[in-house]
Amino acid sequence: MLVQAVEAIGFGIATGAVIALGAVGFSVQFGMSNILNITYGSLMTLGAYMGLYLIDRGINAWVALLIAGMVIGVVSVGFHRWLLAPLVRKGTRAFAIVIVTVSAGVVLQYVIVAFAGPDAKSYGEQSGQTFRFAGFLLTASQVAIIVLTLVLMLGLHLLLTRTTLGRAMRATASNRILAQSCGINTDLISDTAWLLSGALCGAAGVALAITTVSFDFTLGPIFLIPMIAAAVLGGIGQPYGAMVGGLVVGIAGELAASFANPEYSEVVAFAILILMLLLRPSGLFGSASATRRLAA
Amino acid sequence: MEYYVVVLLVYLGTDLLAAWGLNLEFGVSGIANLAFIVTIAAGAYAYAICTLGPPAAMGNFQQYVGGFTLPFPVAVAAGTLTGAVVGVLIGITGLKRLRPDYQAVAMLVVSLMAATIVSADTGFLNGNAGLGLIPAPFSDQDPEFQRWAYVAIVAVCCIAGYLVLRRFTDGPIGRTLRAMRDDEYAAAAIGKDIVAMRLMVQAVGGAFGGLSGALLVAFIGGWSPGAWNYIETLALLTAVIVGGMGNNRGVTIGTFLIAILILQGVQFLPQSINTIRIGLREDLGWIVLGVLTIVFIWTRPQGVVAEKRPRYGGSP
Repeated sequence: MLVQAVEAIGFGIATGAVIALGAVGFSVQFGMSNILNITYGSLMTLGAYMGLYLIDRGINAWVALLIAGMVIGVVSVGFHRWLLAPLVRKGTRAFAIVIVTVSAGVVLQYVIVAFAGPDAKSYGEQSGQTFRFAGFLLTASQVAIIVLTLVLMLGLHLLLTRTTLGRAMRATASNRILAQSCGINTDLISDTAWLLSGALCGAAGVALAITTVSFDFTLGPIFLIPMIAAAVLGGIGQPYGAMVGGLVVGIAGELAASFANPEYSEVVAFAILILMLLLRPSGLFGSASATRRLAA
Repeated sequence: MEYYVVVLLVYLGTDLLAAWGLNLEFGVSGIANLAFIVTIAAGAYAYAICTLGPPAAMGNFQQYVGGFTLPFPVAVAAGTLTGAVVGVLIGITGLKRLRPDYQAVAMLVVSLMAATIVSADTGFLNGNAGLGLIPAPFSDQDPEFQRWAYVAIVAVCCIAGYLVLRRFTDGPIGRTLRAMRDDEYAAAAIGKDIVAMRLMVQAVGGAFGGLSGALLVAFIGGWSPGAWNYIETLALLTAVIVGGMGNNRGVTIGTFLIAILILQGVQFLPQSINTIRIGLREDLGWIVLGVLTIVFIWTRPQGVVAEKRPRYGGSP
C-alpha cells in the first residue's frame, strides 16, 4: 500500500514535471496577452510530430526536443502576431477569441492527421535503465525530463528576476500602458514572451511523446487540460504557481490512477480545473487584484 | 439515391434543432456553451435506454442502466427532458461571474469530462463501444414507408420546434435575453433575474439538443462517445457563426451550408483523395470548417445574415 503510494508519487513527479513545463508556457502567454490560447494543445502535438520526424532521421531525442522547441516558439510568435493580436485590436470579444483558438487547434490537428495519418506513433526504445531511490522507481528518460524541467524553470526564474528583459516582461504583463510610457517596446516584449512560451510548448510536446509509450494526433489536446488545471491552480499568469500546480496535478492524477481506475487520472485534472474555476478562479495563492482581473 | 435523400433530410432536421438550441444559448443570450453536444448525447442515450429492452433480454451483449421498452413518443419526450436537465447542469458551471472566455473553457472541460466518464464506465452506457440495435419507430412497416414517415416526424418536430423557439428569441423574452447578452449589469439593474434567465435558456436550449439527439439516434440506431466528440459542438457553432448569431433565419442557412454542403459535400470529393489515406476527405471537412469559423470571426462577425437591430416606436 505504502510502496504503491510512493511509486505513484514518483510517477506523479515525472508526469508533473512535463505538465509543469507546458503549464508555465501557457501561463506566460496568458499573463502577457490575457488570451486563453487553446491552440497550445495542438502546437504541442506539432512539436511531438516534429520530434518524431527528426528522431526517425537519426537525430538524438534531446536535440530533437531543442529544435522542436525553437520551431514551435517561432510558430507561436507568428500565430500571435498575425492572428490573435489583430483580432484583439479589432475589439473581438473574449469568447470569440477562445472560439478562434479552439478552431485553429482543430485545423492544426487535422492538418497533422492529413500529413502523418491517424495511427499511433512512438519514439521507440528510449531507455531500458531504471533508477530506484527513496522508494521511487523511474526510468532514465523520466529522470532526465525532471532535471530538464528544473533547469528550464531555474533559467526562467533567473530571466524574470535578474535581467532587464525579464523585468520588462513582468512590467508589461502587469500593466501594458504604464510599461509603454516607461519606454518599453511592449510589442517586442510580447513577441519575446510568445517565443519563450512557444519554445516551452514545443519542448513539452516532445517530452510528452518521450514519456508516453505511444501517442497520436490527440496528444496535445489531452494533456492541455491538466496543464490548464495546473496553471489555474497556481494562479493563471503566474509562472511559479504553474510549477507547483503541475506537481499537484501530476501527483493527484497518478495516485487516482494507481488506486482507482487509470482513466480517472484525467478526470482528476478535469475536476481540479472545474472546482478551481468555480471556487477560486484566481488560484490557490491568488490575490484580490488577480480575482478582479478574472471577474466578468 | 432515394435513401441518401432521406438521410440528408433527417440530418438536416436534427442539425437544425440543435443549431437553433445553440443559437438561443450562444447567439441570443451570449452563453458560449462549448458543451452543447453533451445535451444531444444525453437525449440520444435517454432515448436508447427507454426504447431498448433490459440488457439480459438481449443476451447481455451490451451493458446499460434501464431498458424500459417504452414506445417512440414517450422515449423522445424523455430524451428532450433529459437534454433540458443536462443543459441546466451544464449551465450551473457558467453561473459564476467569470470572464466569458473562462466560462467557455469551463464548458469545454465539462464536455471532455462527460465523454471520459461515459467511456471509462462500461456498466453505465456500455462505455467506449457504445449502444447499438436501438429500436426505430414503424420498424414493422414497409421500409420505404418507414423512411418517409420518419422524415415526416422530423419535419413536424422542426416546425413545432421553430414555433416554440420564436417564443424565446423574439418578443419580450428575446429582448430581455439580448439585453442580458449585451450588458448583464444593465439588465440586472432594471430588475431582470440573470440567474433565472440563464438557467431557463440552458433548459430550453438543452431540450432542443435532447430532442435532436433522440431523433438522430432513433434513425441511425447506434450511439457511442465517438459520436459526441467536443469537435461536434464546433460544427454547430460554425453554423451559428457563419449563418449569423442571434438570428434564426441566418442560423438555418448556416446549418444548411455547414452540415449539408461542407460535411456531406466532402463525400463527393474524388475517390482518389481517399486512396492516399482512408478518412482524408473527412479530415479536410474539419479543416475547412475551422478555417471558415476563423475567417468569419475575422471579416464578418455578424454572419451571412446579420441580426436585425430592434426598432422601438417613434422616430428618433
